[in-house]
Amino acid sequence: METTKLPPTSPSSPTTSFSVPSAEKVDGFPRRSMRRARQRRSHSSSQFRYQSSQVELTPLPLLKDAPVAELHDLFCKKLQQCCVLFDFLDCVADLKGKEIKRAALNELVESVATSRGVLIEPLYPEAIKMISVNIFRTLPPSENPEFDPEEDEPTLEASWPHLQLVYEFFLRFLESPDFQPSMAKRYVDQKFVLQLLELFDSEDPREREYLKTILHRVYGKLLGLRAYIRKQINNIFLRFIYETEHFNGVAELLEILGSIINGFALPLKAEHKQFLVRVLIPLHTAKSLSIFHAQLAYCVVQFMEKDATVTEYIIRGLLKYWPKTCTQKEVMFLGEIEEILDVIEPSQFIRVQEPLFKQIAACISSPHFQVAERALYFWNNEYILSLIEENCQVILPLVFATLYRVSKEHWNQTIVSLIYNVLKTFMEMNSKLFDDLTASYKVEKQKEMKRERERADLWRGLEEHQDRRMQMVTEAARNQRNLQERGERGDPPTPSSPQTAHSDQPEPKISGASSSSSGAGESAT
Amino acid sequence: MDAFKLMKELRVNYEQEAHYLPKETGLSLIESTTEDDSRISAKCRDAKVEDLWSLTSFFGYSTQTFVLAVNLLDRFLAMIRIQPKHLSCVSVSCLHMAAKVTEEECNLAPTGDLIRIGQCRFTVSDLCRMEKIVAEKLNFKSKAITALTFLHLYHQIALSHSTDRKEKLSLEKLEAQLKACLCRISFSKAKPSVLALSLLRQEIEGVRSEDMLEIAYHIQRHLKITDGELLLWSERVARCLSDYASPECSKPNHKKLQWIVSRRTAQNLHSYRVVPELPTIPEGCWDESESEDSCEDMMSSGEESLSSSLGSDAEGPFFPLHLRRQKHRQPLHA
Repeated sequence: METTKLPPTSPSSPTTSFSVPSAEKVDGFPRRSMRRARQRRSHSSSQFRYQSSQVELTPLPLLKDAPVAELHDLFCKKLQQCCVLFDFLDCVADLKGKEIKRAALNELVESVATSRGVLIEPLYPEAIKMISVNIFRTLPPSENPEFDPEEDEPTLEASWPHLQLVYEFFLRFLESPDFQPSMAKRYVDQKFVLQLLELFDSEDPREREYLKTILHRVYGKLLGLRAYIRKQINNIFLRFIYETEHFNGVAELLEILGSIINGFALPLKAEHKQFLVRVLIPLHTAKSLSIFHAQLAYCVVQFMEKDATVTEYIIRGLLKYWPKTCTQKEVMFLGEIEEILDVIEPSQFIRVQEPLFKQIAACISSPHFQVAERALYFWNNEYILSLIEENCQVILPLVFATLYRVSKEHWNQTIVSLIYNVLKTFMEMNSKLFDDLTASYKVEKQKEMKRERERADLWRGLEEHQDRRMQMVTEAARNQRNLQERGERGDPPTPSSPQTAHSDQPEPKISGASSSSSGAGESAT
Repeated sequence: MDAFKLMKELRVNYEQEAHYLPKETGLSLIESTTEDDSRISAKCRDAKVEDLWSLTSFFGYSTQTFVLAVNLLDRFLAMIRIQPKHLSCVSVSCLHMAAKVTEEECNLAPTGDLIRIGQCRFTVSDLCRMEKIVAEKLNFKSKAITALTFLHLYHQIALSHSTDRKEKLSLEKLEAQLKACLCRISFSKAKPSVLALSLLRQEIEGVRSEDMLEIAYHIQRHLKITDGELLLWSERVARCLSDYASPECSKPNHKKLQWIVSRRTAQNLHSYRVVPELPTIPEGCWDESESEDSCEDMMSSGEESLSSSLGSDAEGPFFPLHLRRQKHRQPLHA
């Protein structure tokens, strides 16, 4: 039974876990009844470490009222106040304290966003500390062991009222014109970044949205961390693909990567190409591809635009991982192929056209109408059409037989119309080639029909032979009986019995012959 | 059929063919018309005939059906002036009439299908009415003697005379070439017997068979076709066929066809273009050297010496670096 490793369950949430092994979910029809049967739980909070002996917060004077000399000190004190954590699972506990903290956070956000000269060096460690204390926590296990990101509502973070302000503060802090990367890098270090990345697994999409923007700014400003961030993202993806198949933040990380890929310098570094081949392409095999496919496709296309030589790797990779049983994925793959073809260089196209169009032909003959439609719709794309036209001699033979066959057999009339369009397009491109292929197709069909006829004839012949044999046997039995009766009655013997008249070839025993004639049957062979 | 009977049949058809020729004045009128909304032009007619060929091919009708349909169409157009917007209806009716004559009942495509696949704007009842009109105007002479009739006869004659010869004329190929010619209105002015003979001679010259050439002369003399006439049409046929056989692919007219997809597919078609929200982060060449961490230093030196063989698994420094990095791994926040 394969279950994903989860952190220890929160003491506040009851455990009615009957974890359904992930292998059983293979058929793609999630058992909603099971989910409903569970107890409804309140939103969980991930603050495990909140202090039991609660520090009482006293409201401090407002920042905007503070004289300049005391401003930084007050700022610091407020930051320290915000390091106190509150329990949001209990809605009525510490309402006063929560409000004080919320107001303080709000002020801090305002201050960083609007005033200049607020961020001085001593504030950096305090600010980072406050942020760390608030956001870094072990994420709670998913309320729903079968959480399907596409269908289920995510479990939202209970302490969001404070958390959101902390994130907002962090973001403004990073974006402030006074922000000094050289100072920040002492505190925003690799350890910090690693913990930040782990938070991307949060189920709360609002949190991931903030994290995405924050990490984007961190990557942009703290150059020294870039390689480390890339490597850690790699690790996350690889773990996701090959080990856990669970990570909620793939789409957000891919979005960040998109903006990074977009900014790659040319010539493309080997490290980046390896990333494409070993991480991005295999990412297409994930079960939950639909969540992040748009971002993934964007990354792939960006790579192509940067360096056309990676095209072949991409297309061959996609063909290798082409979905065989999941049609929803197939439609996504086809969409991605179209996007790729939209930007492909003609010289690269030629290198991949054969295996590519073989796959497209296979898609056209898919009984799932959406797959066939999507594949046929390629011919509506002008640029793709021009590529096909330049290489008509190679491509038309690959798809011709499929097109003809499917036009006669497919159940869906829309598909049949689309096929007509495609055939007509080919006909206009190069009539002679088309006619030649039609002729050879007909010849093939004739041969096939001839083979069918011959096979039918053969079977018929065998059956007739069988009938004749049966007839012979029954006749022989009848004659034998007549002879016996005559013999008993004393009649003169009749001329030679028909038993000996027939072929000497060994013939299969005929079952069902009556016992009195079995002797006669055997003597005839 | 023996040679004598074939020749006799040839003669009979030759005498009859004039009845099925479209009026030359009518055809000339069409040829001379420039692109206009009120009159059919040659280009218009040619495009429609190509459409008919697509439909014939798609529904598996024989070349005979196609040739007959074109014949009916040309005879009608040469006689009656119609507006271009009705051309579609007229041509599909001709095709349907020809199919009824030539094809077996079970192979006939229903008119609804013809209209749907051909993306026509008219209805089944429109089609029926038009069929009646066309039939009436052509005096119900639906079966016609066409170039294909002669082509078949010539082919049979050629075969019967040269059964011991290695070179065989491919009837399929001749039919395809005839079809290519019929897509141009100028060839409808030719007498079917002459057109067919021109095609035959082209093909014979292609396979370089002296004996076949002899047979072709024989036919020409038998039907009393003049050299001049034959030469004239042979030249035109040669030009047409060289266009047809050229390996260049022409750009198809994309606008004419409607591409209809199901609602679900249409919804997903453009949901793909993701507009990136996050601004681009340019990669600087100074990225790695600015860092203090040893991991970056290892990375940058590794990249310079990298011979990226993307095929080898875990051979490149990327993976081994990660494994070597174990000791630098930060403890996870507990």
